[in-house]
Amino acid sequence: MLVTWKYKERDTIIQRLDPRARIIFMLCAMFSIIQFWDLRVEILFFCLSLAYYFLARLSWKETRRAWLAIGFMISTFTFLTFLTGRGGTGVYEEEHLIYKSPPLSLPIIKKQISLDITAERIVFSASQLFRMFAITGLAITIPYTINPALYGVTFHGLGLPDKFACAMDLAFRFVPTLGRDFSITLDAQRARGYEVEKLEGGVLAQIRKLAPLVVPVTINAIVGGEDVIDAMDLRCFGLRKRTWLYKLEYKRRDKILIAAGLAMFVLSTAASISGYGRFWVPRWLLDLSLD
Amino acid sequence: MEEKLRRALMWLVVLGVFVLLMIVASLLTGPEGAKLSGVAWLLWTAIAAVGIYIVYFATSESEAWVVGTRQVVYMAIGAALYGVFCWIFNLIPMPAISLVALRPAVCIPIFFGYIFGPVVGFFTGAVGNVIGDFLTGWGVFPVWDIGNGFMGMVPGLALLFPDKRRGLNALTLAVEVLIAVAIALIIISPIIPHPWTGEATNFGGYIWVLLIAGAFAIGARLILARFGIEMAAVNIWGALGIIIGIGFASIADIWISGYTFLVTMIGQFVPAAGPNIINAVVLVPILLGAYRAVQVRMGR
Repeated sequence: MLVTWKYKERDTIIQRLDPRARIIFMLCAMFSIIQFWDLRVEILFFCLSLAYYFLARLSWKETRRAWLAIGFMISTFTFLTFLTGRGGTGVYEEEHLIYKSPPLSLPIIKKQISLDITAERIVFSASQLFRMFAITGLAITIPYTINPALYGVTFHGLGLPDKFACAMDLAFRFVPTLGRDFSITLDAQRARGYEVEKLEGGVLAQIRKLAPLVVPVTINAIVGGEDVIDAMDLRCFGLRKRTWLYKLEYKRRDKILIAAGLAMFVLSTAASISGYGRFWVPRWLLDLSLD
Repeated sequence: MEEKLRRALMWLVVLGVFVLLMIVASLLTGPEGAKLSGVAWLLWTAIAAVGIYIVYFATSESEAWVVGTRQVVYMAIGAALYGVFCWIFNLIPMPAISLVALRPAVCIPIFFGYIFGPVVGFFTGAVGNVIGDFLTGWGVFPVWDIGNGFMGMVPGLALLFPDKRRGLNALTLAVEVLIAVAIALIIISPIIPHPWTGEATNFGGYIWVLLIAGAFAIGARLILARFGIEMAAVNIWGALGIIIGIGFASIADIWISGYTFLVTMIGQFVPAAGPNIINAVVLVPILLGAYRAVQVRMGR
């Protein structure tokens, strides 16, 4: 029933750490990162994130798909921010024009646009890019380096009651399984001549034609769920306060990591309140301005 | 009393973790402009929590609220299914002022809520929507997650009434009146300015979508009742869930995103609720029929 995320047991510094300590550190780092817009600070955080990623000793081969998908998303958002200038509102007020393109005609929507490249837009886009990749570098290691068997006990450690901790645990573990089931069903229906790309007819008919995809996956999941229910019932799930197969205990290195994370967050907050790390544009870029 | 207090605290912790999950997911995804900020979304999360508390405490004796092994597993399966389907079908956007997509997946929280109860329905809709938006990379929108939760929870409230026929006509009337109000809003102001670009957008075409949705809801109520009152009930409860869920999120956006009443109702509520009702009316009875057949075969 269960297809797990691509977790692999490795003897690395990162995997020897308690998952709760790692999540606390990740949260501290994320809340620190989002307090700054200074490109230099974002590059620092990006380097920290890269170091964390490389310490996990993940190969490009196993993380390639995730990096490509997230990289595409981040690049698209950044490019759109660069084009529209939206996103920087409130971060900078004045813009220094470096290049103004002649009006470009967009054939499909029949509109004309002109692109103003300013020093602020360039730096803001770069800051956004480093900021998002820094956050991604920290987060992407999670599914590859935390044993799925520890999801439940981790949610429990965050304060969720047993039943909801189990539900969250199972929900995250079912996602890849059901994604796989969907693609198998799609392939099976295609083999029978079903063409999802050519849904013809009225609205009603089009929606009805989605049923051969939605119904088998859903009913199959429900039927498979009965086995999980039986297994849990046989282990007297929910009759009394449960114990967990894996016990998490903080070791010295975990406490050091949590302390480092909290120190980073406190220092970042103090720096941010004191006015450090605000949006910064290099002097040489401002000198290129046409104004 | 002590038991009630303990349960209330448990739900508070669940809500707290849910809010934390939304913050983390928001940090990880979405464009900068869509990141969570301010406290309005927290206030509306609290308003939704109070609403759920009131319904829960008024009916807490009912078996519908029991969370056993079956509910735990189906909460997980429902949320994962809704997340995966949202991720797949979020690729079909609707003309609207915000990120609204054609979602055949809406049948999942309604079906899970109706069959397994309001807790399963709410969890399926809310957590499933977080997973779906997270996988799509759209960012996280808490009031919309809660709105999706309501879409699953409201059909689950049908379990509070052992007699499915009870109140069904009144519910049908309520759904039709609410759809008629939405149509009236479009007639009053079919063209609204897009809040981001200022460009005038005509939503007049959605009158037809709502008319079809309303006709389907009544038609399904009358025709499907011949095959079993359950088929009719699931449609009407589902339509009501969609109206309440999407309505809650759209109205909350007046304070969260600064839209006017007409902009949010015509630009968000109508493009999301109309097609969702049509999707649900078509797909939920098919799912329910298939589930009942499997249930008979399995003997459970």
